[in-house]
Amino acid sequence: MREVRVAFVLILLSCGPKGLSGGPGELRINLGTEPPTLDWTLATDNVSVTVIEQLMRGLMVLDADLQPQPALAERWEVSKDGRIYTFHLRQDVRWSDGVPLHADQFVFSWCRLLAPATAAEYAYFLFPILGAQAFNAGEITDPNQLGIRALGAHVLRIELEAPLVYFPSLTTFMVTFPGRADLIERYGDAWTEPGHLQTLGPFVLDEWEHEYRLVLRANDHYYLDRPPLDRIVGYMVAEATTALILFEQGVLDIVRLPPLEIRRYLDHPMYRSKPQLRGYYYGFNTKESPFDDVRVRRAFAHAIDRSEFPQVLKGGEVPSSSWIPPGMPHHNAAIGTHFDPDKARALLAEAGIDPETLPPVRAVYNSEQRHKLVAENVQAQWRRNLGIEIELENREWKVFLRELNVSPPALYRLGWGADFPDPDNFMNLFTSHSANNHTGWANARFDQLVQDAARESDPVRRQVLYDGAQRILLEEEVPIIPFFVRAINLLVAERVKNFELNAMDIFFLDRVVAE
Amino acid sequence: MILFFFKRLLQGIPVLFMVATMTFVLLRFLPGGPFDREKTLPPEILRNIEARYHLDESVPEQFIRYLSGVLRGDFGPSYKYTGRDVSDILTDSFPISLQLGSLALMIASFGGVAIGLTAAVRHGSVLDRGLMLLSVAGMSVPSFVLGALLVLSFGLSLGWLPAALWEGPSYAVLPALTLAALPMAYIAQLTRSSVLEVMHLDYVRTARAKGLSERAVRWRHVLRNALLAVVTYLGPLVAVLLTGSFVVEQIFAIPGMGRFFVTAVTNRDYPLVLGATLVYACLIILANIVVDILYAFLDPRIRLDGAR
Amino acid sequence: MRLSGWIGASLLLGLLVFALLGDRMGSHRFDEQRIEHSLQGPSTEYWLGTDALGRDQWARVAAGAKISLLIAVGSTFFSLLIGLGLGGISGYLGGRTDRWLMRFVDLVYSLPDVLVIILLIEVLHAGLGDVPDLYRRQLALVLALGGVGWVSIARLVRGLVLQAREEAWVEAAHALGMRNRRLLLRHIFPNISGPILVTFTFRIPAAILTESIVSFIGLGIQPPFASWGVLASDGFAAMRSYPHLVLYPSLAISITLLAFHLLGDALRDLLDPRVRGIGTRV
Repeated sequence: MREVRVAFVLILLSCGPKGLSGGPGELRINLGTEPPTLDWTLATDNVSVTVIEQLMRGLMVLDADLQPQPALAERWEVSKDGRIYTFHLRQDVRWSDGVPLHADQFVFSWCRLLAPATAAEYAYFLFPILGAQAFNAGEITDPNQLGIRALGAHVLRIELEAPLVYFPSLTTFMVTFPGRADLIERYGDAWTEPGHLQTLGPFVLDEWEHEYRLVLRANDHYYLDRPPLDRIVGYMVAEATTALILFEQGVLDIVRLPPLEIRRYLDHPMYRSKPQLRGYYYGFNTKESPFDDVRVRRAFAHAIDRSEFPQVLKGGEVPSSSWIPPGMPHHNAAIGTHFDPDKARALLAEAGIDPETLPPVRAVYNSEQRHKLVAENVQAQWRRNLGIEIELENREWKVFLRELNVSPPALYRLGWGADFPDPDNFMNLFTSHSANNHTGWANARFDQLVQDAARESDPVRRQVLYDGAQRILLEEEVPIIPFFVRAINLLVAERVKNFELNAMDIFFLDRVVAE
Repeated sequence: MILFFFKRLLQGIPVLFMVATMTFVLLRFLPGGPFDREKTLPPEILRNIEARYHLDESVPEQFIRYLSGVLRGDFGPSYKYTGRDVSDILTDSFPISLQLGSLALMIASFGGVAIGLTAAVRHGSVLDRGLMLLSVAGMSVPSFVLGALLVLSFGLSLGWLPAALWEGPSYAVLPALTLAALPMAYIAQLTRSSVLEVMHLDYVRTARAKGLSERAVRWRHVLRNALLAVVTYLGPLVAVLLTGSFVVEQIFAIPGMGRFFVTAVTNRDYPLVLGATLVYACLIILANIVVDILYAFLDPRIRLDGAR
Repeated sequence: MRLSGWIGASLLLGLLVFALLGDRMGSHRFDEQRIEHSLQGPSTEYWLGTDALGRDQWARVAAGAKISLLIAVGSTFFSLLIGLGLGGISGYLGGRTDRWLMRFVDLVYSLPDVLVIILLIEVLHAGLGDVPDLYRRQLALVLALGGVGWVSIARLVRGLVLQAREEAWVEAAHALGMRNRRLLLRHIFPNISGPILVTFTFRIPAAILTESIVSFIGLGIQPPFASWGVLASDGFAAMRSYPHLVLYPSLAISITLLAFHLLGDALRDLLDPRVRGIGTRV
């Protein structure tokens, strides 16, 4: 028994936590969870994006300032009517198995994205293309009727239903990356496993221990300079507190800070924060009393002091009364309702509402600590500034989503993160035909302005259109109250250089150095 | 014996069927579906997805499709992990929970029996009181608090053991202790009280009167009978420990299957929930059979029905 | 009763006073927000510090005591009710009824507890549309925890009833023409009330523990109320910077559990040594 005990202790000592920190050329990040898939046609979530952005490239790529820059496409032309885009591909691009890039690989991938049998959630990204929506709905079955064509090995011609000024921005998103018919045919669903998966970005997939760890290594066939990092190890540590402890021990190089831990690190040299293109808002059900009265909605909006949110959340949140978030083109900080409790009470009185007799208003949010803090804070603010009682309810995520679609509560919290850095991605949300508009509010003038703006290539005129639309949304009709934009809060180890944060929470690791 | 084993195994099949039915029905009563997204999907895309996973069929049809798949060894595709089958996910994660759970089981049963015996032998002493107080304390801390305490003390401050992750034997120690604390404390109390109970029974007194030494009495009769109680308790515990724990896997970042009992439900990944539940139910059935066999082995008065 | 039993009982009495009066002892109510005072450590104004919204942690732990104890007692009572009913019927009637009921018990036993709790909470929460929203989640939680806990109680009760039935006085009563229900309620249940009381004492700490795990998973009760489990798991997320947030609610849980175990052990020795504590399998 004693020997067993001694042996046991020896085993423990021999494999302590030492030696797990990354050496030069190796970066260790926390992915948080398992990427649901690395098939970029089917992926939808942030974790998959983080990995796929290292593995692949599209026609265009976002730079650190989120401006689309040519990547696999050297250059492109737009027809006069704005409906036809011709992309000229680089001739020197090879996949990690040496196969050269071919325009057909785009045609294949985009048709696969749109094919009903693929059942890709983000198929709607390419709905602006001629015939795409009908093809996805099964109304057209011949892919040749789609506006997607390869003219030779290096020219891709895309015909749109209607002009769309931000179409090149769309081609930075992973679902538009090219694909390899041969690999998908050979390996089936397993084509994204290590050894099967071939990519053409700065890194390739080396190992994937599901639910635990994923290892990337530098791609020797990458068409630009080989990245300084040899290896990226992505652990899947779900508990943020655990990840923080692993960071403190030097096991992880980059971690996200749990919201309440941020304050301790504010002055820390390793602390980095960046506001995101992620709006956070409360929506009204405008079909039901009391919020069917616009004066009540405006009263609620004027009774919110947005400066309290950063104090409560302490995560570098930026209060924003405008819906197009700061950092996005055509953002206008002057638009929106401002904190004015007197005006709020006046509006309420004008609407004939006596806070004393109003039954409590129901506000619903999904169960998460951050949302709970915001909810409890606005509950106190509306009580203080309007004398109105709010009944808070939290819901499990999927229950909440179903409720929003079926019978939206009087008040609900929701957020929106940019898929691509164009204001249309935000403004389109509250058009009458948007499935994401749970407010029940519809306004033809607003719809028209948003549609015109999507086709307007002149930035000055576009600004005017968006300002007009935002005024309707946020000052006249007020179906939603934007609260703030969220920020990411990271700790980055000192040995990591050239790591830049951006407003879309995309990790660009191709130039990062680990010493 | 073998006949008994197979007979009981056959009896387990209707239980498994009922488990699958109940879970399936409960899941469908749960509001919200697997493809309800923050960014709502357009109707045509939703239709394509439902067609792909046969969610456009009626619920009974889906259930029959699922069951016939299971009979062929196909637990269906995961809705969340696109392109992966539930069987793949479980064959990856179950062995890890199995390793961690076995270690916890060993700690809990050996540690618990040892503590319980020591306390019983020194009945009424300070040592007895101390050990029992310790075991009550072990039952009084929520597992996530205990896990946090272990990580902060042994992992971070002292640095003796890895705080989290799953890279080798030493990585199993803290999570196994977290997992084992409650059952160990419980087994300790169980052992102690059964030993004390048996000590006063007639046949022990007789054995002693026959002139067997104190030590022989203790080992031959007392321990064997006390173990009966422990084995009864261990039966279902085996299934609980071997299928992993959400809390422990979450805190220690271990890629086991315990988390799926929670995350697969929150994702509405119906096939994954069903798969994990069936694994759990199989283990419960197996464990109960083993308990019955052990019973017969430990107590000659008990006979296995069906065995000749 | 043993000394340790008295210690447990007096601890529980103290907790009860704390739960009823604690919220009013400090200078702040449990839902009063002072953002400028957020995340402070313990001080003379805030005895246990403040949380992220600047609420008094002492008052919150006290208010949490009320809720945690209510949920635990409520759910235990509920599971006792089912357990007594099914176990009693099964043991008393025997035969085919017994076989089928025990099949059902086995079936529920073969489902993972966490899964059943999560499913029940959400299904019940959606199904309890008529209950005022404020109490809906609490009620769903009580029913879900109770809906899992009854299984082992039913087995225990069945065994006890089987034993009691064999005893001569039941046969005598039967011979006198007493009706089944009356017999069960008037004679058998009072006879086995000792072990049931002991079980009740052991089930409550198990329910508190389970509630804390459910909160850690994120399915705890609605704000502004917070149980100890919710407070502790919220505190867990801020563990490295503000350990007081996780420390005091956890301490409250542990002291309560300790008290119940001490009392339960003593009661068991006093009433019936056959019964042992039963923990929930989470």
